[in-house]
Amino acid sequence: MTGIIKLTDRYTEAAIDDEIVVMRIDTGDFFALSGTAAVIWAMIDGQRDRMSIVAELIEQFDVSEREIQPQVGQFLHQLYQAGLIVQA
Amino acid sequence: MKTPAELMIERETRVSLGPVPRCLFGDPLGETTWQMLDDEFLLRGEGDHYFHYRKGFGITIDRGEDADLSEEALWLNGSVYGAVASLNGLVPIHASAVALGGRVFAFTGPAGAGKSTLVAALGDLGLPMFCDDTLVLDLSDPDRIICLPGHKRMKLRPDALELTGAVKQEEVSKTVDKVYALPSAGDVSFALPLACLVFLEEGNSLKVEPISGAERLRRLQDDHQTSQLYGAAQQLDRAGQFSHLSRLARQIDMAVFTRPRDVMRFKDGATVAASYIEKACQEP
Repeated sequence: MTGIIKLTDRYTEAAIDDEIVVMRIDTGDFFALSGTAAVIWAMIDGQRDRMSIVAELIEQFDVSEREIQPQVGQFLHQLYQAGLIVQA
Repeated sequence: MKTPAELMIERETRVSLGPVPRCLFGDPLGETTWQMLDDEFLLRGEGDHYFHYRKGFGITIDRGEDADLSEEALWLNGSVYGAVASLNGLVPIHASAVALGGRVFAFTGPAGAGKSTLVAALGDLGLPMFCDDTLVLDLSDPDRIICLPGHKRMKLRPDALELTGAVKQEEVSKTVDKVYALPSAGDVSFALPLACLVFLEEGNSLKVEPISGAERLRRLQDDHQTSQLYGAAQQLDRAGQFSHLSRLARQIDMAVFTRPRDVMRFKDGATVAASYIEKACQEP
């Protein structure tokens, strides 16, 4: 299995209410994560890959794979584009 | 009884007259600019009017021949006080505030947003002023944020004076179109915990809405003037500034107060703000 890794030297984060705010240290750009995005962010631990994140979300939130798969893919792509994660 | 932070700021803001350096580094300061280096702050006002602070030694004012003394209190109570607070770990916020139920309700916004006018109007509704223009926060207790009582006198534009019922005092200075004013309900002179920070905005409707999450952090970042002083004093890098503002965002309840800038509806706005504060005081 190939896990997704957070590039922890590039950002800092803070939980405010039920949102997670992630800031790129080099640019100061903010990313506010709430709802499913915050849950996915918390799941990225270097072990889980995209499919295992999808499987856990289906179990936790009782949603279909067809529904959740594109959301996860899109969000991970955004994180990748923002330079916050890489594939191990 | 005064808190350790109150005693410290009293001690550190004592003023004496004497010669001061013309710069802390680099070239001599231009008019109305400042420098900060380690535990020192130097500000030059108009002409040869210098204010120098060094931690543990208080503030020294150097009045050159062309110093405008009518501006001295403004510099002293404004940027100089903010720098002294920041160098000693206190956080100045650009806000005016009232107190009710043993807590502080602060209003913030850019210059001209109506912070002082609203606080004066709330005085007319029986809420005493806590501070005008600058709210100083003590973050030494990790579990709560304590506000130090205001060090500035209330300043109002003449038209605001008529709207609010505050009592007119002398003119602020030759260059500022404001007068000092006494708020109708008096003021509070002891430290209190912060209840809420309310951002003032213009809009057609009259409403107070809570804000949460990342929006709190974003709003705090807009307070450039005071953030800059605190960041420079504490030598915060971007991550340190983020961590500092995140703590404030987590611990301070925040709201947006939207109201039209319409003289005819001004009293309605003050009533809405007062109702919000009274309701907040009834909540546990």
